[in-house]
Amino acid sequence: MFPVALTLALAGFIVAPFLIAGAPYESTMGLVQKIFYYHAPSGMMMFLGAFVSGTASAIYLMKGRQGAERVAAGAAELTVLFGLIVLTTGPLWARKAWGVWWQWDARLTSSLLVWLMFTSYLLVRKYGGPGSDKLAAAVAIFGMANVPFVYISVNVWRTLHPKTTVIPSLVPGMRGPFWFSTATFLCLFLALLAVRVRLGERQAQLDDLYRAGDDDMLEAK
Amino acid sequence: MIVTRVLRWGALAAWLCMPLVGAAQAPAPVPAPASPAGQPAAQDGFVPVSQLPPAEELPPGPLVLGAYGFIWAAVLGYVWSLARRLNAVQKDFDALAKRQR
Repeated sequence: MFPVALTLALAGFIVAPFLIAGAPYESTMGLVQKIFYYHAPSGMMMFLGAFVSGTASAIYLMKGRQGAERVAAGAAELTVLFGLIVLTTGPLWARKAWGVWWQWDARLTSSLLVWLMFTSYLLVRKYGGPGSDKLAAAVAIFGMANVPFVYISVNVWRTLHPKTTVIPSLVPGMRGPFWFSTATFLCLFLALLAVRVRLGERQAQLDDLYRAGDDDMLEAK
Repeated sequence: MIVTRVLRWGALAAWLCMPLVGAAQAPAPVPAPASPAGQPAAQDGFVPVSQLPPAEELPPGPLVLGAYGFIWAAVLGYVWSLARRLNAVQKDFDALAKRQR
């Protein structure tokens, strides 16, 4: 999966800027609207990462599969990465469109909350000591549970952020570049997740070897 | 006894007179200066971003470049972090293999 996803992602990132540059300008926002072509797909990858991490964490807690724990950890890192992109590019767009960098409205605040939850997942896993992987898994499940609220927040509460109807109502000239960028980000997500899971497997193999070495030394004594 | 009573009444009188002293010390209200001829009056209402004069508009170029630049920096930073961790694990494997020989 990794070579295919990486090749597609690289090809996509070469082509996407040309498509985005050729897309029509939005009438009120002008050039700054071009941020949307990478901002919204990053948000989708953040949601995907949270779902993958939460689901894999639930499998790990229920069945104790180490492979699921490695997938959960990798997806949590990607949630934090794409969340950081969303939370940085959004204010750059908002400064021009709304006149402010940040607004404590439902969409922005709940997105920040999801990002903080997955950041705390990584911190708990790294510094929590023995048994922290199970505590972290519970945090990931709560983080995943927040995602539907983030998604519907723009439709339920009054917020400055555009509603979810923006993407289905894109004009044809913008629709193509947008979905192309989304597919490219999906390939990047899959490629990075594959590498991160591989890293987890190698670390687990190394830990097994160290443990086997310690057992041999104990037996020799 | 008398001293305590005098002090108590004095404190009460001082407390009652405080608003009068404050009012006497407050500066008299100054009428707002009339705006000089030829200058626009101070803004007292909401102005949509789309109607701002060109001088006050934020140029979008740096914002778009900043956004795309940040995305690349974040992704490349993460790829670098993965490569560094993979190299570290590989080094540990090599060291372990050397020790076992």
